[in-house]
Amino acid sequence: MSNQNSEREDLILRQLNRLIGESILVVTESAQLNLLGQTFRPIFCGPIVEVETGHITIFPATIKILNAPFFQFPTPLSIPLEKIAHFTPNFDCEARFPLV
Amino acid sequence: MIRRYHVVAIPIRIVVNNFGDHNPDGVMYVLKENEATVNELVRKNPFTPVELVQPLTIRANEGDMVEILFENRLPFAAGMHFQEADYNVLTSDGANVGFNPSSLADCGETILYEIHAMREGIYFFTDLGNVSSTQDGSSLQGLYGTLLVERRGSWWTDPLTGGPLTSGVFADVHNPFLPSFREYAWFFGDEMEVDDLTGNRPLDPVTGQDVESFHGVNYRIEPLHNRERLLEEGVVCPECDGEEVHHDSWVFGDPATPILRGYKDDPAMIRLIHGAAKETHTFHYHAHQWLKDPSNLQSEMLDVQAISPQSHYNVQPLYGLGSLSGAIGDVIVHCHLYPHFGAGMWGINRIFDTLQDGSQCYPNGIPIEPLQPLPDRPRPPLPTKEKPGFPNFIPGKVGCKAPRPPLGIVGGREMTELERNAAVPNARPGAVFSDTCLGNPVVVEFNVSMIEMPIMYNRQGWNDPKGRLYVLDKDLDDVLSGKKEPEPLVLHIPADSCIRMNFTNRLPHVLDGDAFQLVTRTYETAFHVHFVKFDILVSDGANVGWNYDSSVLPGETIRYEWFADTELKGFFFHDHLFPAAHQQHGVFGSGTVHPRFSQFFDSRTGEETERGSQVTAVNPLIPDYRDYSLFVQDFALLFDKNGCPLAPPEFPGSQDDPGVFAVNYKNEPLQFRLGKEKDPAYSFSSFVNGDPITPILLAYEGDPIRIRLLQGAQEESHSFNVHGLKWKSEFPDNDSILRSQQHTGIAEAFTLETDIPRAGDYLWAFEDEEDVWSGAWGLIRAFDQEVDDLIPLPDRRLPPPRTIPLPEVTGKPPALANLLNTLPPEAPLNAPVRRFNVVAFQTPIIYNSYGDHDPFGIIFALEEDVEDILSGKTNPEPLVLRGNTGDLIEITLTSRLKFELFPFADGIHPYPPVKEQAFYPPSLRISLHPNLLDYDVTTSSGDTVGFNPDQTVGPGEKITYRWYVNGAFGTNAMWDVADLRNHRSFGAFGAFIAEPRFTTYLDPTTLQPVKTGTNVIISNPLTGNAREFVLIMHDGVRLVDKNGQLIIDPIAGILGEPEEIDDLVDTYDNGSRGFNYRTERLINRLNEHPVLSELFSSKVFGDPATPVFEAYLGEAVVIRLANPSERRRAHTFHLHGHSWKFNPRNLSSRIDSFVGHMVPGSTDDLLLIGGAGGIFNFPGDYMYRSGNIRWDIEQGMWGIFRVHEKDQPHLPRLTN
Amino acid sequence: MTHDNSNNIDVNAIHDMALLDHFIDGIGQKVIILSPSFPFLFIGTIVDVVEDLIELDVETTHFSQLEDRTWFIHIHNIEVFYIERPGEPQIPELKDMT
Repeated sequence: MSNQNSEREDLILRQLNRLIGESILVVTESAQLNLLGQTFRPIFCGPIVEVETGHITIFPATIKILNAPFFQFPTPLSIPLEKIAHFTPNFDCEARFPLV
Repeated sequence: MIRRYHVVAIPIRIVVNNFGDHNPDGVMYVLKENEATVNELVRKNPFTPVELVQPLTIRANEGDMVEILFENRLPFAAGMHFQEADYNVLTSDGANVGFNPSSLADCGETILYEIHAMREGIYFFTDLGNVSSTQDGSSLQGLYGTLLVERRGSWWTDPLTGGPLTSGVFADVHNPFLPSFREYAWFFGDEMEVDDLTGNRPLDPVTGQDVESFHGVNYRIEPLHNRERLLEEGVVCPECDGEEVHHDSWVFGDPATPILRGYKDDPAMIRLIHGAAKETHTFHYHAHQWLKDPSNLQSEMLDVQAISPQSHYNVQPLYGLGSLSGAIGDVIVHCHLYPHFGAGMWGINRIFDTLQDGSQCYPNGIPIEPLQPLPDRPRPPLPTKEKPGFPNFIPGKVGCKAPRPPLGIVGGREMTELERNAAVPNARPGAVFSDTCLGNPVVVEFNVSMIEMPIMYNRQGWNDPKGRLYVLDKDLDDVLSGKKEPEPLVLHIPADSCIRMNFTNRLPHVLDGDAFQLVTRTYETAFHVHFVKFDILVSDGANVGWNYDSSVLPGETIRYEWFADTELKGFFFHDHLFPAAHQQHGVFGSGTVHPRFSQFFDSRTGEETERGSQVTAVNPLIPDYRDYSLFVQDFALLFDKNGCPLAPPEFPGSQDDPGVFAVNYKNEPLQFRLGKEKDPAYSFSSFVNGDPITPILLAYEGDPIRIRLLQGAQEESHSFNVHGLKWKSEFPDNDSILRSQQHTGIAEAFTLETDIPRAGDYLWAFEDEEDVWSGAWGLIRAFDQEVDDLIPLPDRRLPPPRTIPLPEVTGKPPALANLLNTLPPEAPLNAPVRRFNVVAFQTPIIYNSYGDHDPFGIIFALEEDVEDILSGKTNPEPLVLRGNTGDLIEITLTSRLKFELFPFADGIHPYPPVKEQAFYPPSLRISLHPNLLDYDVTTSSGDTVGFNPDQTVGPGEKITYRWYVNGAFGTNAMWDVADLRNHRSFGAFGAFIAEPRFTTYLDPTTLQPVKTGTNVIISNPLTGNAREFVLIMHDGVRLVDKNGQLIIDPIAGILGEPEEIDDLVDTYDNGSRGFNYRTERLINRLNEHPVLSELFSSKVFGDPATPVFEAYLGEAVVIRLANPSERRRAHTFHLHGHSWKFNPRNLSSRIDSFVGHMVPGSTDDLLLIGGAGGIFNFPGDYMYRSGNIRWDIEQGMWGIFRVHEKDQPHLPRLTN
Repeated sequence: MTHDNSNNIDVNAIHDMALLDHFIDGIGQKVIILSPSFPFLFIGTIVDVVEDLIELDVETTHFSQLEDRTWFIHIHNIEVFYIERPGEPQIPELKDMT
């Protein structure tokens, strides 16, 4: 059981590690986040620069804010793996797609 | 943090455009540091607009304390009242209210205001020292501005220079953690004084009459009449008519009105504000959408915002400038009310695709001012000879009409080399400079024509001989031959569709003249569309700025491409070349973007279809539904059967409210539905009068339905009500409040999604008095057994076969509804019953201490209170009933109406007037209808509608209604439906408050339980105690003064001399107004003590007659606000120093201190944030009032909310 | 991780443990945290990690009234974050006045 867990963990890590340098579109769990009153759905896009057991980091990190879908956050963003709802690798962060 | 501004109020000459139109008596707020400069510039430029003459826009950050040193240089006392702000009402209210010290400044004096900027948003400010609605008043003449509060840590720069900015309507706003954005303050203003270059009132070159009043943006107008004069004089554009080139910069150069500049994809925010004074405008921004409530991501998507005086909204376009597909070009932003649009209430959002550093020029040689790129966005490319960028790749000719787009017109031209360089790689007809469908192929194609044909509006022969409408090409023969009844075209499209529209102009070259209109050469037309994405340059279906003219001449066909990126509501389409000339003839329709994978069927035949105002939508994943589209119309230019014009204007071509009202090219005027009995109580009865000719929306019991509510034409607000059904006010949001009423202005679109619980006839009505009188009503009919002309929804159980014959017209009133064995659809058998005996009767109502009164009042009261009212012991207030969630309410209603107590024995009710007056004698029957509650529509709706039984009650009769409180909805409006013409405005209305379970209602003085009252304590074991104040805003009241003289409001209530009286007032402005059968008309006070700045002072006059509600600091307070009666003119409600959630059920909802555009049926629940005294709990007198300078405040629509610090002997504090 | 009593440890717990370790490594560093719960944003210095709580010396949140104090933030409620480290992008300063 526990071995399976470790293997699974390794599998995910290995998969994610292979994606380093590649842009992913990642959506986290909560319905909305709030930066100084600006609300947005947690939809992020950017190249993976770091993969660790508990989180990944993307940079530059585009936040798909409804009125500013190409906004790049000033710092890298780390996302706990446990908060990831779903992601899709190999995503062009310049792509235009509906957000509502 | 303290931020300081020194603001001066000054008289200023306001030049409103480059034609030298100006207001010699303007007033404005300006920063002290700019005062000398602006005065000097205006002195040097008496006939040219001066940039600094604009509504003052200053900025601060969330959390700042803003200190405003206000200096008054005007010849009357003035101040600055801030909406949304938190402040000490005793020192910083910018008003002189109740027993507060005055916080106005006299001429030459200064005062310091301290404003807490607690949250991001628009802190609109205005003057309350001089609320006269005349040109001697401050608001009308320009005294308004805004403090814009940005997010914490923000700073702002000048978009031209990138340098610092102290004030200005345009700014680039930056923040370390958030996207930089373009900020544009957009102030609508109406009714300001304007003279032409010669100092005279401007004349319209076409009609030869006075032009429309001022309808502008940021003190500017660019009216058609000025530009038409240049055409007439032959200066520009030979062969042009006028309206089709009104917005064309190729012909005239750029307008004087605001041009909001940015680069493609720039994030942006329009701070939309209505500065003053009268009209409810609809703000439309082409090709862009935004969330109604930007802080709630589940909120409804809009592309039109109705905005009433002194209200404001954040318009944050989704995806930034150019929207999803990254379009470029000139995007028109305008008031959609065509007379206002024509009067110059429009501007342009200009989206560049190349860097503007000041080195470029527009095609007419005018330099393009520099525009700093936003620092966190990629720098746009520099213009080159091969790729000069918008607008310099467009092959237009200055002085001539804009060129037609390449590729789109069938048989038209290819691209020029410059166009090819600017085009997207896959350029195609209708999508040349942006890839509208993001690479998706066209999947839906429509062929549509615009035609002219006579349209019959009703069975009495009212008709439009020059009806104009969109028709699918395949329906042309059937419509023209009369086989298919004309209706507004409604197209149905599944989401995620790329759409091609092939539009053919089949109109005659000329719109003929008649009593309503002058001959107009409407020789080119188009198909402008809302909501879907498109290439603004070539598919706008308009002729704007330096864009192409994307319209076609008669006989030509043009292709447009649209992308329905997501599920949308009904989206509006119409012509944008001659809409003021012919949209009111029927030139409107809509598309509805349904959920993906939906299919559509003719509800009658079951055949698959792509059009129709009533269809059945079928989807593999979600419940199937009936889809209905309703378009309300005003300015319907109809003739009666004898060819006489109905409600014609004073002269042809006048935009002064010509014509009547209709829905989907039909109306059913009440004057024709008196029946043999001549009793208005059966006007809606199909037994007596047959079914109306207006839409009857068919369903089976239990069917889900979606009503797409739109307004096709042309200038006015309307109030849509459905009796017996309710829906989420914001369609996508499950936390949304429920509503059974919706305000609408032209071009707005609403999806009202609900289901029909039980068989019966449900009244839908645009239920202000004049609309419904004119016939803007119809039915929703739900069957419980199968009928021939309605397919069942495929995913629902088949209706049982018909065993009971369908009802038939008898010509006689139906039997009285029988409550036996019927319960409201959702009521359980064991619901606790709360009973009320209500009596309707006539009694004089004293409206104020000056003796203004209604001698013919008609009111509802509890039986036990009738005697005290009739004996004069109590002056009545509107009946307010309450019940808790889960209660079954039983109302037993008795009529004691007496014919001799009605004012007009001859059956014609002259004032307040409606159009097309006719014999309609007062009914002695009466009823009580609530919105929002749950009831069986066949017994308890309080109306006699369709083939339902009679639910009105005559003298000596009794009827019992059962209403189930199936939610704590808060305020429900109640009104009589038996005679909307002769009863309601006399007081036949009230409110029902639906409270949470286990609530008790206590008298605020005695703390004893009460059954009724506008001022109670609501006490709940879980949520505690709160004060509940019920404010019923109403208008259309007929008052006489203490000498028995009729008061003709609003004119009689104007403070000072109005500029002209003749055509000042529309029918629906007439009547007196106030709250809860009271009005504190300021003219009475002025006559007693002629000091404008002291009119709200209780120190001078004592308290107003309108309610003075009292509370202690920090006490929980909920204000229940309703407008049950009765005019179409929309009102803003504002309470000083307090705010509440726009949607009380959703914590992420935005915070407001106003309620916009209130019209009959509208209700709101204001849970005051921070309780009495606001977040900081400041004691004092807070004014509640209308925001309409013209004409509400003067006419008495205001009162006081008094917040005490110290114990008052008459008022026990709330415990807990 | 191979003991018998680790039967209860699943992949989610491993992720959480690793995330805690990441924050422990960041003690003394500045961090920005976005949370779906009020007040949504924290910027401050990581003081300690106590079980699954991050102890943060907060210098910036949405509201100044809630700043310059210690906040304990449950690690399960951190939606996204960034811990500053030498040579990497710095978290911008938020100033109330320009």
